[in-house]
Amino acid sequence: MSEGASPPNLAENVLKRIDVGIFVLNKNFEVRLWNNFMAHHSGRPSEEMLGKNIFDAFPELPKPWFTKKVNTVIMLNNFAFISWENRPYLFRFAHNRPITGGADHMYQNCMLMPVNNESGKPESVCVVMFDATDTAIATNMLKDALDTLGEISNRDGLTGIYNRRYLETRLESEFDRTRRHGGTFSMILFDLDFFKKVNDTYGHLAGDKVLVEVARRISDQLRSSDVVGRYGGEEFALILPETPIEGACIFGDRLREMIELEPVIYDNMTIPVTVSMGATEYSADLASYEKLILQSDVALYASKAGGRNRLTCYAPELEAIAVSGAKH
Amino acid sequence: MSLPILVVDDSAMARKMLIKSLPPEWDVSIAQAANGIEAMAAYREGKAAVMFLDLNMPEMDGYQVLEALRQEDMNSMVIVVSADIQPIAQERVMAMGAIAFVKKPISFDALNEILKQYGVI
Amino acid sequence: MSLTQINPLTDDQRDALQELTNIAMGQAGSSLAMLLDAFVDLSVPRIRVVEVVELPATLADLVGKNILVSAVRQSFQGYLRGEAIIIFGEPGSHALADLMGYEGDLGESSQAELLLDVANILSGACLGGMMEQIRNFTETHGPADLSFSMPSIMARDVPAAQIIDPKKVQWTHSLLLEVNFTIKDRNFVAHLTMLMPEDGIEKIRGIVDEFIAAI
Repeated sequence: MSEGASPPNLAENVLKRIDVGIFVLNKNFEVRLWNNFMAHHSGRPSEEMLGKNIFDAFPELPKPWFTKKVNTVIMLNNFAFISWENRPYLFRFAHNRPITGGADHMYQNCMLMPVNNESGKPESVCVVMFDATDTAIATNMLKDALDTLGEISNRDGLTGIYNRRYLETRLESEFDRTRRHGGTFSMILFDLDFFKKVNDTYGHLAGDKVLVEVARRISDQLRSSDVVGRYGGEEFALILPETPIEGACIFGDRLREMIELEPVIYDNMTIPVTVSMGATEYSADLASYEKLILQSDVALYASKAGGRNRLTCYAPELEAIAVSGAKH
Repeated sequence: MSLPILVVDDSAMARKMLIKSLPPEWDVSIAQAANGIEAMAAYREGKAAVMFLDLNMPEMDGYQVLEALRQEDMNSMVIVVSADIQPIAQERVMAMGAIAFVKKPISFDALNEILKQYGVI
Repeated sequence: MSLTQINPLTDDQRDALQELTNIAMGQAGSSLAMLLDAFVDLSVPRIRVVEVVELPATLADLVGKNILVSAVRQSFQGYLRGEAIIIFGEPGSHALADLMGYEGDLGESSQAELLLDVANILSGACLGGMMEQIRNFTETHGPADLSFSMPSIMARDVPAAQIIDPKKVQWTHSLLLEVNFTIKDRNFVAHLTMLMPEDGIEKIRGIVDEFIAAI
């Protein structure tokens, strides 16, 4: 053997023993190559697999999907990929972390390559399979942690409902979505009446209890698409997707009444609570979502000016009241 | 008199490649156009007994040229030269009056074959 | 402002590169048409050398400002090094699912898989077509062959300007090739962009000069 030349069968030996799955299928889905990785993980030795139809050997394979994938590789003479993130595995193999894994199968990344005959036409497909279990487990753990973190950072610490930052993000996306796809939505801004007096009279812990209680009662009444959040100290906001102003007013008034009728009990003290509300509806001529907040604020101001414990719907005329009120 | 032919392509390089692929013995006077609008102007000046037409161009594309030619009685043999190798593209241009379709990158042999077939060389 | 100075492409270089891209894109369009069994309209390729800080604005300019897009990235290495970014217009995966004959609502991961498959086919066919042409005329730049890494979703439903964060890009300049594929009656559009770092720009310049000389 000359210096520098590869020993005979070098490539073949490497292919057989490499810790990566390699197998080849012809156009009829018959196995033409099946390396040790595939043999060990599937429990089917190469001698048994060669010449066998892959779907006969593994009836659990997703046949229509995999057929299409392989045929596309041959038709377009292009490689293709299968990612564990979309499809956890091609073959259900046990993985090598039975104890610490938290997964009951091997996650797999696959690459499919066309193999050409002498005239350059693709006639079979080589599948290379990588064990992605470690990556998948780490990614899934990270994703869970990020989800939890994301959820925490969107919440108000005291009441557990959404915070102002999240409210604004949601309002903006609802605004953009409605602008693009049509439809409508409403928002309600509301304040606890004389909340400072509650704090002064019953103490701050009682005040906190009132905030928590109001948040809980409202949350219980919401549809799954509705969003409630704490906008500021004693100020709350509600986003009601696909709800015109009439519906928003009926719903808002019901919430207002529910809060009025049942005082909050804290430490044997009965604390009467009422809220003032301002409601407004999306309209295509609004420049931005911030405008919607301003409008509900104007309506809320009108409710306060009108004696509190009521709901006002925004109307352009209210702007004058808000302006003259602000002067005093 | 040499035959007036027009080479239409937005790429100067593509026009050069095509002109280089023409049979050297062919007695022609060559005009060039970089889009459909220029092509129609040259056609109206009688510079396009044979037109080599790209499909994918800004301003006015090859399909629009074929349409305009059809309205002006198609007094030109149009050979479409395109990178768009979809069979439907080919069927479409033939239905619109092109006599042949040559795919890019252009092959000297394929082009010669067509020119012989239509008896222009 | 960046310290590296990159000479812009000359008109001849740009023209030749545009034609190379145009031919390569024809292959990609044809592959897509075969896959989806529909007629695909091809755009005229657009080529720019941009500073990385301008990338978000340039992408928004190419794709459109007031729409949300999804994007897939795939890197390639070997003869050329860079990343292909395939940007799908708003109806994106829904239009695709429809074209591929899937019925009903597709799950999130099947939708992602569709985007990845189509992106992979576009970048593979287009770059493969480019390599094939380069093999036909060049000798001095080594064997024209590429390998591709697994594609991944980089953004779902975001404005085009948010696809790339320039702060996370290590390069200062980038060669940007853009072509788009439209299926008119199905409301489908995909933009194939290829980004190459500074050394890639010089390599492309060399290839293109050789191409020009060969004609």
